[in-house]
Amino acid sequence: MSTEEDAVLEREFDALMAKAGAKVPADRKAGIVAGYKDIKRMTALLRQPRTEAAEPSNIYSLTGFRRSRQP
Amino acid sequence: MSASQALHELSIAEAGRRLRAGTLSSVTLTQHCLSRIAALDPLLHAFVLVTRERALADADRADRELKAGVDKGAMHGVPYALKDIYATAGIRTTCHSKLLIDNVPAEDAVVEAKFKAGGAVLLGKLATHEFALGGPSFDLPFPPARNPWNLEHFTGGSSSGSGAVVAAGLVRTAMGSDTGGSIRGPAFYCGTVGLKPTYGLVSRRGVFPLSYTLDHCGPLTWTVEDAALTMQVIAGYDALDPASADIPVPQFASGLGQDLAGLKLAYPRSFFARQEDVTAEVVASLDAAAQQIANLGAKVEEVELADFELFNACGRVILIAEAYAIHEKNLLTRPLDYARYTYQRMMVGATISAADLTQAFRLRRELAAIINTHILATYDAIITANGLTPAPRFDEFPADVPPKMTLQTMPFNVTGNPALAIPTGFAKNGLPLGMQIVGRAFDEPTVLRIGAAYEAASGSIKKRPALELPIAV
Repeated sequence: MSTEEDAVLEREFDALMAKAGAKVPADRKAGIVAGYKDIKRMTALLRQPRTEAAEPSNIYSLTGFRRSRQP
Repeated sequence: MSASQALHELSIAEAGRRLRAGTLSSVTLTQHCLSRIAALDPLLHAFVLVTRERALADADRADRELKAGVDKGAMHGVPYALKDIYATAGIRTTCHSKLLIDNVPAEDAVVEAKFKAGGAVLLGKLATHEFALGGPSFDLPFPPARNPWNLEHFTGGSSSGSGAVVAAGLVRTAMGSDTGGSIRGPAFYCGTVGLKPTYGLVSRRGVFPLSYTLDHCGPLTWTVEDAALTMQVIAGYDALDPASADIPVPQFASGLGQDLAGLKLAYPRSFFARQEDVTAEVVASLDAAAQQIANLGAKVEEVELADFELFNACGRVILIAEAYAIHEKNLLTRPLDYARYTYQRMMVGATISAADLTQAFRLRRELAAIINTHILATYDAIITANGLTPAPRFDEFPADVPPKMTLQTMPFNVTGNPALAIPTGFAKNGLPLGMQIVGRAFDEPTVLRIGAAYEAASGSIKKRPALELPIAV
């Protein structure tokens, strides 16, 4: 990754931390930026070809509430 | 097993036979374990708390009950230990973190309640990576556990203490938790058995969460039989755990001792062999294990799975997003109370979007379908790599950036299938190697059957690490 790409990545990261309300200690920032770079690669992999109807694995279900009702 | 054999080498089953025959007392067995802990734990740093008085009281009660003919099951009078993320009523539960250093729960985790009801003997609480994620960290209230095979090497994690104590012969069974490989990683690096059960088979209630949809509770043990007997105590439906499965508990040991005739196993060799970091001796060890399983009567066939990176990306995004949601308040207000690695890993969760997470959950359904309705519709189980390299040295980890782990475990947290870690031998540097046996959902008996047959044939687990003991125990 070029210096310019690294700078863009860091600006993105700073904006996301500001949005989250996080004040990242300076000596811990490099490790999180490295993790952010890696997670960006991973989130790109998640976008596989699929139809609009393809459901996620954690769809909401009411059966769990019904079965766990205390006697 | 001879009467003179060291007590820590007694299997859970053999200890149970002697306890019931009156040739061994639980107090004697417990005192032996406590002596080994006193001698070896200063080297291993595997316990964050030894519950000596509680253990001796549990043991005395078990002896009296067994003498009176009260039999509470396979672990009655048998010692165990808990990763320090399992809540224990009245006993400090820290998650190995400054944030919970004074936390004393009022209630037991369901697993702990089941051990108590089964008459087992709690030896103490075990080291973990902070909140089951960070690590290895030297900036926490307790040091990281060390690998009994070489104290300069990593145990794996996050169930770091659990791997160390079982490998060193301090206890036969120790509970871990597994969100991306935290049972199977330490089992691989420390040379023990480790079972990540099917998602929903063991209640997670009272265990500090890392990722709601990926967390699994399970044991690290010295043998496959020990794992089966531990599972018989801890498995079962819990209406108050939203993920708990309302199904009958199987007889986990029902397949032990059988050969593998009639079983068909998938061997996705390229899944690990084409990974950049894999070592030649890991691949050779897996090939030899696959051949040995074939020699035991199973039909082993090479198959192709979806790319490992898809499973890993899916699991990592979900894990970090859920962990961040759990810890958000403390991460924002008390950043320096987390270890450096823990904080750095968790804060990445603040960068994940809602769309990212939804896409991960959509991919998860697709990957689970590949494993459960394609591969495991044809095959009884999958055998594959656990880790790509033996345990790294502590001094190989960078100071400022959390290390990347070379485990192959995340795919089966994503799919939820049962996955057994089992040793396959040793690398040239003397550190353990191992494999995973992955089964159909809720078919732990078949997974354990395969593991036990391989274990008996290979004999690779019978060696203990050569730790220096100041006294003979």
